[in-house]
Amino acid sequence: MAERHPILDLKDATPRMLPDGVINAPLELRLAAGEFALIECPSGEWAAHFADICCGLHPLQRGTVQFLGRDWSGITHMESNALRGRIGRVFHDAAWVGFLDMEANILLSQRYHTLRELPVLRSMALELAHEFGLPGLPVGAPVGLTPADLARAACIRAFLGEPLLILLEHPLRPGDTELPVPLINAVSTARNRGAAVIWFTPDDAIWRDRSVPATHRLRLSEEGLIRPRRLT
Amino acid sequence: MNAVAAISPEPRGIRRVLASIGRFTRRRVTFLLRLAALAWGVLREAARPLSWRPMVRAEFRRILRQAAGGGLPATLITAVLVGLVMVSQALYWLGQAGEEELVGSVLVTILVREVAPLLIGLIVLGRSGAVTAGELGSVQLNRQTRVLSGQGVDLFTLLVMPRVIAFALASFALGIIFVFVALIVGFVAGSLLGPIQSSIFSFLDRVLEAMRAADFLLLPAKLLSIGYIVALVVCLTGLSAESGDRLTELLPRAFARGVLTIMLVSLVLSLAA
Repeated sequence: MAERHPILDLKDATPRMLPDGVINAPLELRLAAGEFALIECPSGEWAAHFADICCGLHPLQRGTVQFLGRDWSGITHMESNALRGRIGRVFHDAAWVGFLDMEANILLSQRYHTLRELPVLRSMALELAHEFGLPGLPVGAPVGLTPADLARAACIRAFLGEPLLILLEHPLRPGDTELPVPLINAVSTARNRGAAVIWFTPDDAIWRDRSVPATHRLRLSEEGLIRPRRLT
Repeated sequence: MNAVAAISPEPRGIRRVLASIGRFTRRRVTFLLRLAALAWGVLREAARPLSWRPMVRAEFRRILRQAAGGGLPATLITAVLVGLVMVSQALYWLGQAGEEELVGSVLVTILVREVAPLLIGLIVLGRSGAVTAGELGSVQLNRQTRVLSGQGVDLFTLLVMPRVIAFALASFALGIIFVFVALIVGFVAGSLLGPIQSSIFSFLDRVLEAMRAADFLLLPAKLLSIGYIVALVVCLTGLSAESGDRLTELLPRAFARGVLTIMLVSLVLSLAA
């Protein structure tokens, strides 16, 4: 199924105007397996809004959003939840459930959507933790961790379980020089196994950085997704 | 809707009074309808094996530990106090009056049917209900529901269903422990107060004999229902928090609703039995 359909397909997707809505223009984006869209986006709210549209969490006024060939508006609540289990996501804010510890937070989606045993999930998460530069899986409550560790934990959660679509809402903190390289490596690994990736960045330097191997470089504005003719 | 609100004039006089009565009624009715929908939803979802995913089971275990384990010390202390004050006094005074054979029916009518479910409901509400209202209120107010929805996690299945089932089971377990401890402590205290003719086994036997067939259903039904409804009320209160609400307002709201619900459920089941 994933081979026949693009991973994500937004066709004339115009979000319904909501009080907190920020994007009102039609959106067009088609991502096949292995493709990588790097989107410059001024605020985390916009990135979250766009990611919600991709996940079928935002009602549309017009157009369609399809994930793995399935239109979000034409499937049941249970089916859409199951499909969201195939999406890995870094949330730009309020990313952690306060009453769960970090391990439960990181493994939450996998323990909800799959029947993988806890030790297997732990070892998969631990492997990712090492890749992102952590000595082990973060423990304790989310409020006890530094922002740098939380950023790495968010990456572990997003890449855990080999998701088919990865949405990275501002994954890098300003001044974090250590995370970009493992993050780019993780993105490449995910693309090689057939995942599509969308990386939202507020940073123009990252957006222009040729070492970030994006297949699409776009800008998100009130007019929707803009494709600049060339990098200057 | 906002546009309509913007151009509608503020009601005055009698219309203002009617509007506030309507608003009050609508909110209460909405709450009750949601409560009924959730109560049915939990029963339906809990019966489906697919609902009990590993994460939901882990959450169920955590809440059960919190509700039953956390409520156990308070239950034991309350049971000892009730045993000392109520059971021993009943034994002593009925013994003094030569009506010791009435002990069983008095204790069953007061302790088993009414006091135990009521006190256990209050313990579960105070010890675990407040925690749940706080947790879910915080999830709602800090927009952490977005993180759960974004990962395809059903809020009802993860947050409400395991809590409701765990509270019901915890309430039942604590209730049985409560009755047993209160009776034993009451008998021991009564024996120390004055000469009691019977042994502890004949005392317990008398209590069991005084129980009608309906009482064997009423006590578990009351305990399970009270735990079930308390959990629903605190979950709904937490998850219906609106921006601008504060946890300090949410907790007393949940407590007041919970107390009212415990009384109502207890009354309705007593009348039905």
